[in-house]
Amino acid sequence: MNNMELLEIKNLRKTFDGKEILKDINLSITGGKIIGLLGKNGAGKTTLIKLINDLLTPTDGEILINGKKIGVQTKKVVSYLPERTYLNKQMRVSEVIDYFSDFYDNFNADKAKRILEDLDLDTDSRLSKMSKGMQEKVQLVLVMSRSADLYILDEPLGGVDPATRDYILDTILSNFNENASVIISTHLISDIERILDEVIFIDKGRIILQSDADKLRKSENASIDEIFRRMFRC
Amino acid sequence: MLIKLLKYDLKYMLKNMSAFYILSVFFAITTRIFFNIEQSVIVKIIGQISLGCMISMIVSVLINTMMRSWVRFRSSLYKDEAYLTHTLPVTKNELYNSKFILTFIFFFVSFAVILLSLFIAYYSKAAWQAITDYIKVITTGLNMSTFFFVLIALIVIFLEVFNAIQCGFLGIILGHKMNSGKVGFSVLFGFIVYLVAQTLVLGLVFIYALFDNTVMGLFKTATVNIDVNAFKVLAILSSALYIAIITVMRIICKKILNRGVDIE
Repeated sequence: MNNMELLEIKNLRKTFDGKEILKDINLSITGGKIIGLLGKNGAGKTTLIKLINDLLTPTDGEILINGKKIGVQTKKVVSYLPERTYLNKQMRVSEVIDYFSDFYDNFNADKAKRILEDLDLDTDSRLSKMSKGMQEKVQLVLVMSRSADLYILDEPLGGVDPATRDYILDTILSNFNENASVIISTHLISDIERILDEVIFIDKGRIILQSDADKLRKSENASIDEIFRRMFRC
Repeated sequence: MLIKLLKYDLKYMLKNMSAFYILSVFFAITTRIFFNIEQSVIVKIIGQISLGCMISMIVSVLINTMMRSWVRFRSSLYKDEAYLTHTLPVTKNELYNSKFILTFIFFFVSFAVILLSLFIAYYSKAAWQAITDYIKVITTGLNMSTFFFVLIALIVIFLEVFNAIQCGFLGIILGHKMNSGKVGFSVLFGFIVYLVAQTLVLGLVFIYALFDNTVMGLFKTATVNIDVNAFKVLAILSSALYIAIITVMRIICKKILNRGVDIE
């Protein structure tokens, strides 16, 4: 799958109430990469991610995953972590694991249980009895326990304490296969910088930069975090 | 995948409805017990309280079946849970069908629980005889069998309630198309859809009546004396119209859902 286009976005536009949120987005992502989707608040990161996941409908343009339009087949190979808690809070963690096992052929329940145990999360607990941070950890574990082609993580470190961030990043690194790609949207650039292969800067609904992370660091002689601060200084 | 979706939808509804079902039957049993043991003032009071509780539980079962169906539909397709629902490898048709069948099943279950509660609380040979005698008076007047009368009455009631639930589904979908954040739009559209559906049924019956004098009698007379044939025609015609309207609403719901959603 390497070098074949895993995600292809052509002339994508999204408007809400006549206001253009995403403007003519063109993007190609190949397999085997960790990509940082970076931008200020309201730049259009989450809108783009939601469009890829069929949670929003494009105004114009096309999104292809493995050459296929968004649908049942593409959803089988995309593992998505939203920025909010989305599981039915009446359920126990073990029930959510069963739910994922039922719907996703590529979900590894044993792996999920093992990681949850490492994170001291009880599978018998009801989600409603867990803190928001704990629920977010459960969601991340479920998402990373799938053997997907494309992982899309929207603010995976947002509600997590700094001590757990490294564990989560290691979890991400060690739980996706070499042909898969991971798109991470976050504000905490310094935390994820070490794992990024590629960066995409998005501003005011447009992609203003897509580059190899190492090449960018070399050409600008600065870290991604510094480059981001420089580009988006208010 | 539809079976899997339905499995989790059924679990959700059962979790939320079982308390009402159990309490409804429980108060039916206590009503039965307290009305059948030796009557003292205290026992009478407890019996009346039990009866009141049973009636309120029956009403709760009915209201909750409708409300929970709508809440489940909205939360799973448009609220936070939608982030999971719409990213599952299932079609939008399967998502809709799951909710449709869920409502169908739970309406039957709720209806059965209500009948069971009433049966437990009130059944006696004399009461049964009174009911069958009463139905016989009606069916003799209408010149139809008791079985056919009960069947047609149940079908019309079922279709009427199911139509209301479907109007709610379409209202939720249209409301979210207009404004995904405000539940008010869904309620407003649900109400409008219901009014339109009811007006449509009435209008079509009236159009039919223009060609059938017996049915036109229903619109002209102020008395409750309904022509036998008019009743039969009205029951069959309204059932057919409800089925047609429910089917059309189902097609519209699926078409809109298949065009895509905008989850806030």
